[in-house]
Order: sequence, then structure tokens, then C-alpha cells
Amino acid sequence: MKDKTVRVFLVIFLSLGSVVMMFPFVWMVLNAFKTTSEILAVPPSLFPKVIYLGGYVKLFSESPILYWFRNSLVVVTAVVILQLFTSSLSGYIFAKFDFRFKNFCFIMVLLTLMIPFQVIMIPVYLIVSKLHLLNTLYALIVPSMVSAFGLFLCKQFIETIPTDLIHAARIDGAGEFRIYGSIILPNVRSTLSALAIFTFMGTWNDYLWPLITINDTNRMTIPLALNFFSGQHSKELNVVMAACTVVILPEIIVYLLFQKQFIQGMALSGMKA
Amino acid sequence: MKNAGGNAPPRQKLGRAQSRFVFCCLAPVMVLFVVFLLAPIAISVVLSFFNYSPLSDKAVFVGLKYYSYMLTDPNFIKTIVNTLIFVASAVAINLVLSTSIALMVYSLTSARMREMFRAFYFLPVIAPLVGASLVWKNMFDPQYGLVSMIMERFGSDFSIYWLSDARYALIAVIIVTLWHDLGYNIVILTTGLYSIPKTYFESGKIDGANRWQLFWNITLPLLSRTMAFVSVMTIISYFQVFTQVQIMTRGGPSYATQLIAVSIYQNAFEFERMGYASAMAVVLLVLILCVSLIQMKLNQSDWEY
Repeated sequence: MKDKTVRVFLVIFLSLGSVVMMFPFVWMVLNAFKTTSEILAVPPSLFPKVIYLGGYVKLFSESPILYWFRNSLVVVTAVVILQLFTSSLSGYIFAKFDFRFKNFCFIMVLLTLMIPFQVIMIPVYLIVSKLHLLNTLYALIVPSMVSAFGLFLCKQFIETIPTDLIHAARIDGAGEFRIYGSIILPNVRSTLSALAIFTFMGTWNDYLWPLITINDTNRMTIPLALNFFSGQHSKELNVVMAACTVVILPEIIVYLLFQKQFIQGMALSGMKA
Repeated sequence: MKNAGGNAPPRQKLGRAQSRFVFCCLAPVMVLFVVFLLAPIAISVVLSFFNYSPLSDKAVFVGLKYYSYMLTDPNFIKTIVNTLIFVASAVAINLVLSTSIALMVYSLTSARMREMFRAFYFLPVIAPLVGASLVWKNMFDPQYGLVSMIMERFGSDFSIYWLSDARYALIAVIIVTLWHDLGYNIVILTTGLYSIPKTYFESGKIDGANRWQLFWNITLPLLSRTMAFVSVMTIISYFQVFTQVQIMTRGGPSYATQLIAVSIYQNAFEFERMGYASAMAVVLLVLILCVSLIQMKLNQSDWEY
């Protein structure tokens, strides 16, 4: 009996919290359908009187938003594929081979694990500028080709694959790349998909690095472009909210579709301690 | 090398083909690590001793000037104070809220509901912070924003200028930060809770412990390792908070929300003072290293279940 009342209170409390968490999204979607004067009206109202699509029309007619989506897709796809490849390959080498300077190399990698991006941001900017990559999508891809976290995670999981399995394949005449492709990769598939989601989210939502390296409107990625566009249209709040909706909603849909993988990926990243 | 783990391979000599494989695959990866992650740490330290602006290609050695200048720069002192206040309060509130929500979600009996709530609380984590900050900026508006709208409903008759009043701006930044990433810690903490073997609770119940005693004597101690991890990760990530500040307040009004990451960005890329910005980056590095060292000290207790 007492247990039941406690539970009812828990559900009520958690629901209230969920409403708070959801509200900014609701606010965003509702305001995107208002006219600016309706948003600015005093007293303010929550729901739009009529559904007004002018915000969306303006967004799609006045901005290269499809370019921005394409840029983000190109960068994210390249970074995820390259990072999965380098992390799993070098994770395999660190997990299953013994060679000179192995510990030295591994400690070098681990050193970079905890370094905040702002500490290396200025030198990386200067290096990228020396390579003449500024203001190109390469600037967003090349520095992110390796990840200490990804390498470390892959090494941890590849270590659990029995070494005998690898020996057996070697005796059967399989080359090292063959072993990597047909034994190692299939065995760490779930780790890799978690890592892919983690990298995807980090790269897709990254704002600071594109802010520094990209100036050209047509080469912006989504977060940078969103802020740029909102700055241009800061007086037209419905356009800004429409832009936010167009950017945020697809991500929410992807998340709802792959919810389990997302949450597992996040939980896995928490296991790196 | 010593092999500690049970699964580690026995030491053996590599064949020619294998050494070639190791070298050819690892060398490019290590080069990338050195160029884009490792060398920049050193360059950052070196750069902090130079007066350098990308506009003029000459770098003038100034020694420790920037570090001594920092101590007298009221804006930098304000930045450090803000950062410490922000990290301390946001981390504390985050831990209390995420732990209590995780415990509440965990204690629900229906698995469906558990998953539903977890999904709701996690949703803001995946939303791009830029978009979320723009929406919150709109919601914080004193005239037509949602926050004022709600406060009016509850009888408050003055409007708070959340983002333009120095007393409230940092609070607004904390609210947005918490809203955005509470869900991340909730997921990690619930995962930690699930990994506690059920038998402990059962034997506790048999011994006649009540709900509170179970929580205090079983859940909390067994969750402590996850909590330590979560707090360190949260502290480290909150020292780097940038996006929400840059979009909502740009560090203003009158430096009220200036955090160290924002200062580094502005000095390096808006004022072209890369040397001074690098010195700030070194300070940030030292702060993070201190947190990591404390974590290593705390992590030495090794028990398993």
C-alpha cells in the first residue's frame, strides 16, 4: 500500500521533469508557426492563432540550407569512417602485438585523452593554416582522423578476443589484413557502432572548431550556419525558430529510431574509467 | 613488457611480415596523433611565451610576461572566479539532480516506463547545443519569453532581464547547461545501478532493512565508483563550456558570464592575441590536470563485485 503511493509520487515527479525537458522543443516548434508580431505580442500566447508557414518559406528561399546539410553529412561521414578505421586497426595492433616502443607509443596516445580541446585549439589552427586547409571541409576532417578515446576503447575490447583464434587463422595462412577484416572487426561490431554514434554526435554538433576554421557561407556546417543565419535574421524570430526546428527535428527522429543504440553508446563511453 | 591481464598474449617474436604490418599501419596513425594532438600541447606552452598574432608573422619572445599580466588583469581574475563558481555550482546541482532522477527511474517497476523516462531525459543531450541555446535565448526574453510568462502566472509582477542583468546571466547559463546534459549522467548512473547485483538487495531485505537503509547502506556505497567517475567527467567538461555562453551572452553583461574557454577563444580569434590566449590555455590545462590527479588518487580503492 505504502509502496504504491511512493510510486505514484515518483511517476508524477518524473513526468513534471520530463515536461521541463521537452518544453524548449515544444516552444520552438510552436513559435516557428507564428508571425514575428505574434511572437512579440504582449501578453504572449503559447499557441499560434493560425499556422503561418512564412518562417519556413523564408528559410528555404533565402539560405543555402541544403548545402549546409550536405557539408555536415560529408564531414561527419568522413570523420566517422576514418576514425573507426584508425581506431580499430591501431587498437588491434596495441592489443595483440608486441613490439619495440609499444608502451611509449601507448602512453603518448593516453596523454592526449584528457586534454581539453581549447588547450590545443590555437596550435591546431596554426598547423591547419600552414597546410592551407583553412576554410575548406578538409579542415574539419583531417585533424579528427584519429581519436585517443576510440583507440583506447577498441584496444580494451579487442584484448578480449582469444589470441588462439588469431594464431589459428595465421596458421591457416591468413594475412594480417585478412585477420583484421574477418576476425577482429566482426567481433567488435557493437563497440564500433557505439563509437560511431558517439563520434557522429560529437562531429555533427561541433560548433567551436568550424567557427574558427570556416568563413565561407557555402562551406559552413549545420551548427555554425544556424548561428550565422540567426544572426542575419535576428529580428525575425519565426525564421530563427523555423531554422532551429529544421535542424533539431531530424536529429530527434534519428534518435527515436535508434534509441537503444544511442543509449548503449553513451553508457559504453561511460565505461572508459 | 609485463603482461598483467589474463588474456594478454604471451611474448613472442614477430615475423617479418608482421613487423611490416605493425609499422606500416601504426606509423601513419602515430604521425596524426603527434601532429594534431600531441605536438599542439607543447606548441601551446611555447606560444604562451611569445607575443604572436597571425596577422604579423613575427613572434616576439616575452618570457613570463603574460603569466604575470594575468595576475593583474581584472578581467582574467573575474573569468577564473566565474569559471570556478560555474563549475562548482553546476556540477553539484547536476550530481544531485541526476542521481535522484536515476534512482527514481531505477525504482520504477514497469520497464516500459523506465525506458520512456530515460528517453525523455536523454533527448536534450542529442539536440545540437547551438539550436538549443538559440531557443533558450528566446525563452529567456523578459517581454515575450516563456520563463517570464510562467513567472507572471505565479504572480511575479516584475520581469527579470535574464541575459542582460549581471546578477542572473550566469544562472541562466547554468540552467541551459543542466537542461542540456543532465540526461547523459542519468544514463550512466542508471547503467551503474543496473550493474549492482540484485542479490545484495534481496539479502538486505531478508535482514529486515527498510527502503532508506537499503539505499544508504547498499545502493550508495556500491554506486560510489560510478558517481566518482561521473563527477570527474562532468567537472572536466564544465571547465570547457563554450557554445551556450558564446551564443546567449558572449561573456557579458560586463564579464558576468565570461568563462575561461570563452576568454581563450575571444583573445585568440577576436583580439588576435594568441600568446595571451595560449597562456590562458595552459592555465586551463593545469586546472584539468589537477582534477585528473585527484581522480587518480581517489581511484586507488580497488574492490569488485
